Amino acid sequence: MLIINDIFLGFIRALMLILNGNSEVIHITLLSLRVSGTATLIGACISIPLGTMLAMYDFPGKSFVTHVMNTMISLPPVVVGLLVFLLLSTQGPLGFLELLYTPTAMIFAQLILVIPICMAVTFSSITSVDKRIQDTISSLNFSSIWKIKIMINETKIGILTSIIAGFGAAISEVGAIMIVGGNLNGFTRVLTSAIVLKTNQGMFDEAIALGLILLFLAFIINGVMTFLQFKIKKGTK
Amino acid sequence: MKKKYILFFSVIAFILLLLYISTFINSNHNVDNELIIATTTSTVDSGLLDYLKPTFENNFDANIRWLYLGTGQALAAGERGDADVLLVHDVDREKSFIDNGHGTVRLTIMYNKFVIVGPEDDPADIRNIEDPVIALKKIADYNKQENILFFSRGDLSGTHAQELKIWDKTGINIKNQNWYIETGQGMSPTLRITSEKSGYTITDVATFLKIKTELKDRISLEILVNSDHIDVLNPYSIILINKEKHPHLNHKLAEKFALFLISKEGQSKIENYKIDDNQLFFPIFGKNNDYEIFSDEKTTLEWINKLIEHGLTPPLSLIKHNIPN
Repeated sequence: MLIINDIFLGFIRALMLILNGNSEVIHITLLSLRVSGTATLIGACISIPLGTMLAMYDFPGKSFVTHVMNTMISLPPVVVGLLVFLLLSTQGPLGFLELLYTPTAMIFAQLILVIPICMAVTFSSITSVDKRIQDTISSLNFSSIWKIKIMINETKIGILTSIIAGFGAAISEVGAIMIVGGNLNGFTRVLTSAIVLKTNQGMFDEAIALGLILLFLAFIINGVMTFLQFKIKKGTK
Repeated sequence: MKKKYILFFSVIAFILLLLYISTFINSNHNVDNELIIATTTSTVDSGLLDYLKPTFENNFDANIRWLYLGTGQALAAGERGDADVLLVHDVDREKSFIDNGHGTVRLTIMYNKFVIVGPEDDPADIRNIEDPVIALKKIADYNKQENILFFSRGDLSGTHAQELKIWDKTGINIKNQNWYIETGQGMSPTLRITSEKSGYTITDVATFLKIKTELKDRISLEILVNSDHIDVLNPYSIILINKEKHPHLNHKLAEKFALFLISKEGQSKIENYKIDDNQLFFPIFGKNNDYEIFSDEKTTLEWINKLIEHGLTPPLSLIKHNIPN
């Protein structure tokens, strides 16, 4: 009964927090968007061309690289957090940068998480393109950069899906950002780490409120992406 | 034919899965010799519970488990009936927990001290200051010109509550100060963050010594303020939960756990728990009635009689006790 009550209160609180424009909640939400958005953006720029190349070209050890990429998808966020922490800690090799417990460190950690996911989805959508189109593109007498560009153009929907998947993984992740960000109030506290904190404090209604905001964000962003996907589909027909 | 087999096997698999899940439900903690303690991070981080566990389990044929929480959440767990007994440290909230009828008995079993730790070079120059209020004031003053961070637990734990109480006495409004940062995490992560950022923080001495011995050079912090001021005394109490509100809990074993901790054996075990020759917790049951922060005389006498009823030896005497240096 208590839990149902908490969920109900959570809804009301979430509405109140959003409507009142609670500055702490807004700050946390914006930081979540900034960190995961930047990580996804940089991650997409790196992994979409890489995934496309991996799908288009044959080279020795290709199956091994694909296997590594697929394994990296299930990389636990806490392990990534640990690795980045060790790199950036004052006694670590990159300690002199003084990046630990900053949003930059969080972006860095999420980038590592986003890249394999984005890359794998891109890879699979390119490989599922009609064989005839693939053959046509590779028979064209263009430079390889142009071929990759044409290929990406052919699979816009798959590429969008890969961005959605990468962003979804980043914004919902807590293991890595908690370790490298430290959950510092007003500096590195994001939605997921704030939910962990509120749950630990037994403030379930606030935890639920933050969870609802997170869900709402995902809903909006995926809505935009889905809209774009449908638009592209119509355009190609 | 093939389809039938698949259906048959999936039904069997489903039943097996249900059976497997039901074992979890049956093994719920409502067993006679299982005790769940909701406790604060410091009793776990310092290793005290791990040290007391075997003796209690052998003497009382019990099995103990604990929920590793801050005091705020431990009290909330007690309120919801998620734990059989509480071991916490926040006098004000403990008292209101009892006043609100969630708990019935509060027994202060021991105390330790809060210390202010910081970087070796101590830029705010607070080393060996007796009054913690003055020490925090100096950190705030230093921040008027230079910058040094102060890390707060910010998680409603007992340590956080005590820290806020001391800040309150300085008269400084620490909200929205850019050098005052809440980690929102337990004592160990907060110490690690403070060390990485070369800042100041308040910690209970037990957790600090334990972490310092475990991590050695990786924690570059030192104890700077270690006084016997009343503001830095940190009493730990056992709280028994109201039987009427949560009849399903293991109240019998909870009482035995309390009796064990206040008995002569339990108290001397606490006294003998040392890390690198440093005593971490000071047993206090039955020793002092002058401080309001410890349990009152009436309860103390009542429970000494209870100890005798159960054939346990009470701690040495009811002499007045001065806080040792």
